[in-house]
Amino acid sequence: MKLYITEQGAASANTVALDDMILTKNAPTSAGSKMLDGYQGLFDADIIGRLEAAGYTIGGKVNVGEFSIDLLGETSYYGACTNDQGNLTAAVAEVAKSDGVKAVISLDVNGMPRRAAAMAGTVFVKPTYGTVSRYGTIPVACSGETVGVMAKSTADCRQVLGHLVGHDDKDGTSLSDAECAQVKTAAAPIRKVAVLQSMVDAADDATKQRINSVCDTLKAKGVEITAVDDAIYKAASPAWNALMCAELCNNVSRYDGIKFGYRTPNYTNIDELYVNSRTEAFGLLLKTAILYGSDVLSTENYMRVYDKALRIRRVICDAFAALFAQYDAVLLPACSKTAYKSDAVGTYTVMDEALFTAPASISGLPVVVAGGVQLMGKAFSEDSLLTAAAMYE
Amino acid sequence: MKYETVIGLEVHIELATESKIFCSCSAKFGGEQNDHVCPACCGMPGMLPIVNKRVVDLGMTAGMMLNCHINRTTTFDKKSYYYPDLPCSYQTTQWFAPVCVNGAVEIETSKGKKTVRIKQIHMEEDAGKLVHDDWTDTSLVDFNRTSVPLIEIVSQPDLSSAEEVVAYLDRLKTLLRFAKVSECRMEQGSMRCDVNLSIRPEGSDKLGVRTEMKNMNSISAITRAIDYEVARHIDALENGTEELVQETRRWDDIKGKSYAMRNKETAGDYRYFPDPNIMPVVIDDAWYQRICDALPELPELKKQRYITQLGLSEYDAEQLTQSRAFCDCFEEAYAICGAAKEAANWLISDCYNILNKRQQTADQLSISGKALGELIKLVAEDKVSRGNAKKILSAMFEQDLDPLQYATEHGLVVSNDTGAMEETVQRIVAADPKSVADFKSGKEKALMALFGKCMKELKGNCNPQVLREMLLKCIENA
Amino acid sequence: MNTDTLQKLEKLNQLCLTEAEKSTVTAFFDQQADLFSCLEQINTENIARMVHVMPILTVVREDREIKLFTRDALQESAPETHDGYWQVPRLIE
Repeated sequence: MKLYITEQGAASANTVALDDMILTKNAPTSAGSKMLDGYQGLFDADIIGRLEAAGYTIGGKVNVGEFSIDLLGETSYYGACTNDQGNLTAAVAEVAKSDGVKAVISLDVNGMPRRAAAMAGTVFVKPTYGTVSRYGTIPVACSGETVGVMAKSTADCRQVLGHLVGHDDKDGTSLSDAECAQVKTAAAPIRKVAVLQSMVDAADDATKQRINSVCDTLKAKGVEITAVDDAIYKAASPAWNALMCAELCNNVSRYDGIKFGYRTPNYTNIDELYVNSRTEAFGLLLKTAILYGSDVLSTENYMRVYDKALRIRRVICDAFAALFAQYDAVLLPACSKTAYKSDAVGTYTVMDEALFTAPASISGLPVVVAGGVQLMGKAFSEDSLLTAAAMYE
Repeated sequence: MKYETVIGLEVHIELATESKIFCSCSAKFGGEQNDHVCPACCGMPGMLPIVNKRVVDLGMTAGMMLNCHINRTTTFDKKSYYYPDLPCSYQTTQWFAPVCVNGAVEIETSKGKKTVRIKQIHMEEDAGKLVHDDWTDTSLVDFNRTSVPLIEIVSQPDLSSAEEVVAYLDRLKTLLRFAKVSECRMEQGSMRCDVNLSIRPEGSDKLGVRTEMKNMNSISAITRAIDYEVARHIDALENGTEELVQETRRWDDIKGKSYAMRNKETAGDYRYFPDPNIMPVVIDDAWYQRICDALPELPELKKQRYITQLGLSEYDAEQLTQSRAFCDCFEEAYAICGAAKEAANWLISDCYNILNKRQQTADQLSISGKALGELIKLVAEDKVSRGNAKKILSAMFEQDLDPLQYATEHGLVVSNDTGAMEETVQRIVAADPKSVADFKSGKEKALMALFGKCMKELKGNCNPQVLREMLLKCIENA
Repeated sequence: MNTDTLQKLEKLNQLCLTEAEKSTVTAFFDQQADLFSCLEQINTENIARMVHVMPILTVVREDREIKLFTRDALQESAPETHDGYWQVPRLIE
């Protein structure tokens, strides 16, 4: 069970660890892949400067699954992590729980840190897309992936996130400082919460129990809870899978054994160099995602699948906009189960679990995982979400 | 049967920018291998593309020069294929909303004038370069050219002969050089051309099988390649020598043959999709207007104006308008000295000769029009002799200078010191009684010899008319 | 998903699957196709594509050259270089 890929410096109250999707010039960045084993980046991610300026020290690089698209890091070249009960757990959550680490900064590509927080009982905040710079993160699904903060409490998440947000000229999708500042600004408290009933119905009893208990707590604090049933949000998962895999296919095509990273010893010509380097270095989930992404972008499928997924994205964003006109936040599970035995996880289990995480991924809306459930809000509502989540964390 | 040839061109032009299209590396031609490179240029993860504004400026400028409609919202897309000169295994280009569409350019050939329609102009990044190393039997990759900005000008299949293709390329070159979009130097690869060609029976409206020849980089090669391909196609149709297939071919100019290309972009699906990391570029009215306002007067309009308004000869006007740099220098010099004919002469003969010696093109003219104008004024006012003015002009190619100040510092100003002149004339005449005698006996040339000696002695710093009179007077009295 | 399509995709992406992997991947494709077919009920005819989720306006930079990295640093992690070039097996055009 490998939590850290590299560990630096002594742990202190101001230590922040980074998941291995975030580039640092002082330590290798592997993205959990044999392809990048020992790869030393040449520059620091933008957020590192922000963390250091705020007085934090970088405590090391935390193990993730290959390009962080899996369930809980189980596809890492360095091995999966299990807890004492024999359940799968993610290194980002286990490190965040440990003493002497204030927070773990984690790139949310396909919901892994959200599931990790739900399994391990930590808090994770995925802020509004564009409020934290992606400069220096390993690109996978750029239209939706967002840098977030994992910590033991909503208070720690809020504090660290406050230092990460801000405009970055080096990221063309970065929002203005004025917009980013809204993340840190206290807004009206959350009084009306919608529960996505169809999503709750798709989860197991233990998960339903969690949702119910969170609802009870919120009700006791005077929050109005309404179950809404809108099947449209179920469309997010297949649409996001298509978009994510298409972008991933393109983004990981740079790993070819020529410029850096893994090169096969088995080649006599350029074609073998390409095929064997990639085939030997990549795992099956990643290969599947590459092939599926390539398929949805093919001439035959572009309009029917990729273009459709881009339109579905707008339908979903519009639906959320309408929902947030009536409600302050939306409650839904983070995963169909509260625990996964490590031998019960199949290669594509994550694709099914994306049902719960895809709505926030595809829309770029902020979400807080605490108490094992997701609370989503409209853009820039992070502060209100964290305040509400503090009631049941 | 009679056939007609149908040709469409895709012309790639490297833009005259300082930095690359999506990163801040140098976009200059040449340099040590892999010296103009950053993590993004060699495919490393983590850097994000930020569009170079000048690339959009130049893309719009090219479009306006070629009478295109400018898409006020233009977007970038990714095109995927594997090749070692493409570090990310994708090229960022424009597929769905290119910056310019629907243009037209007029060309002139021996058969008269013709309009060639432009389908679109899009902005994109160049690929790197491969060097094949025979010694190690490997290929070596240089990423200096990776992400250097390009525009691709796609014509409609409106061309029908090598002559028209050459005229079209020539016209593009003139217009784009004039607008300072690119140097369009085929020998340096800053202008390259893909030729799409098919033939069909004359009068038919059905297109034949099309072949594409990639990366043609000289006019003569293009001409030969077109002639070869037309002959090959006709041969295939008439004599069944081979079955024509739609394919990409490479022209071997040494062997004089085209070959089907085995790899690279010939097979497969490029899987274009919008780049999520680049927001749409929205060209607002102020931006659009700024580019409009900066467009140069077209060369033929300039030429007419030089003739009718400034009184230049047809020849002089034609020579000047071959180059934007010459026109700019001429107009600036004229504004200062007011002598159009003089300014044109200095440029067309003196400056042109100096450029030739320096192995530079007209567009590389580096002297300022202001300095040239002042120099012409100094000559007109008899402050500097023509001979010394040429020396000053040569110096102007080496450094930016003020002609009067330079002349003063180097003793090249015409002296008004008649005493010194008188003294020199007397001394020279006294020392050369033979020439004096020769002149008196009718040999005009002898005077020139004496005059030259005086001039040399005085370092050219005297009014030649005054000197001549002084000399004659002195000889008369001798 | 048929074997020809899968083979084409493998080639396009420089990958080579084992027979066992092929059947796993094929099953995944079929499952995604089923899921995606449900989306066809959602009418998107008059819905504009959404590539970017946040409405950010044009981001451009000034044309200025900045050199931050040396060739040696960039080639430190290279599998094979020669005389300042990245080296690959010879390509036949």
